[in-house]
Amino acid sequence: MVKQFAEWLSTTSPSLFLQNHNAWAIPTIQSVHIIGIAVVLGSAFMIYLRILGWAGMDQTLRQTTSRFAPWVTNGLYLMLVTGVLMVIGEPVRELVTFSFWLKMFLVAVVTIFAVAFRRSLRKNERRWEETLVKRRSIQGLAILTFLIWVGIIILGRLIAYDHIWGPWSPATKA
Amino acid sequence: MLIDVDPLLKSLEATALATKIRDSVFLFPMLESTHVIGLALVFGTISIIDLRLLGLASTQRSFQRMASDILKWTWAAFVLTALTGLLMFTTNASVYYHNLYFRIKMLLLALTGLNMLCFELTAGRTIRNWDQSPSAPRAGKAVAALSLAMWIGVICMGRLIGFTTTRAAAAPPPPAGVSFDDFLQGSPPPGPPPKRE
Repeated sequence: MVKQFAEWLSTTSPSLFLQNHNAWAIPTIQSVHIIGIAVVLGSAFMIYLRILGWAGMDQTLRQTTSRFAPWVTNGLYLMLVTGVLMVIGEPVRELVTFSFWLKMFLVAVVTIFAVAFRRSLRKNERRWEETLVKRRSIQGLAILTFLIWVGIIILGRLIAYDHIWGPWSPATKA
Repeated sequence: MLIDVDPLLKSLEATALATKIRDSVFLFPMLESTHVIGLALVFGTISIIDLRLLGLASTQRSFQRMASDILKWTWAAFVLTALTGLLMFTTNASVYYHNLYFRIKMLLLALTGLNMLCFELTAGRTIRNWDQSPSAPRAGKAVAALSLAMWIGVICMGRLIGFTTTRAAAAPPPPAGVSFDDFLQGSPPPGPPPKRE
């Protein structure tokens, strides 16, 4: 079904436009997507470092998240837009892969983590600053979330090499 | 050219390490991914510093404090990025070496180093005077703006390298590189059709 959708999408006019201008359009969109990765990973990294106590200790956790979380959110919007454009530009190459869908699953997981963290911080600001931020389990969660981002980036690159998943990749069956 | 580097590049490609990476299904993609993670941290953390210099973000924090907090991570990420980049280069050295975008990228990287030196010689000397100010003096702002522009350029050139080189050892290097006119007109670059990676 996904394959049929991808094939249909590739016949639509926005897709044909991108396919016909792929010499500059695709590298440009991908470059903006990578700049988005840098904004999101760099900003999220600063929040994790603060939770781990490795940087930004002159700032409260609240100050750190107010400074960096909007950049994570806006960076993600930028990646959503450029990501959708890449799918429109090369529907079959993107959608008919195992890597893409595992990546989307991890993006959903990490987004839920981030939203839950910001809600909790807003509600229990004091408790976060005084005790929660020093808790081992919270620090472990920060490291885990960072590793999920790393996994997302690797899977993004693996879309181009989906055959390495062997029988799990729908691309190899095509 | 005074020195013929091609034999050197060929011997780099022939090393056991380069061969191992070429022969592996997943080593090259893993190097690329690690390169992206590294460059994301380099550009991500550097732009935090640049925006502080420009007075656009973190204006309440001491510059000195931020720099000592953040730049060590930038350097660590830079080492990771350079190392993975070097390993990728060895797999197809003569093609990368002759690639126009690769050359522009290396030039831009050299310029970011020079830019950093400019900072040390100008605004870097008077940090004590503006450490708590919301932005750096004019020279510091110029360095920051240039840094942002050049790093964005480095990223764009890096992505274009992937579109204009191929790992196939048989591919002859495009002798004159790819001209910007070809790029702007959207016509395919000379030489073999690029393999998408």
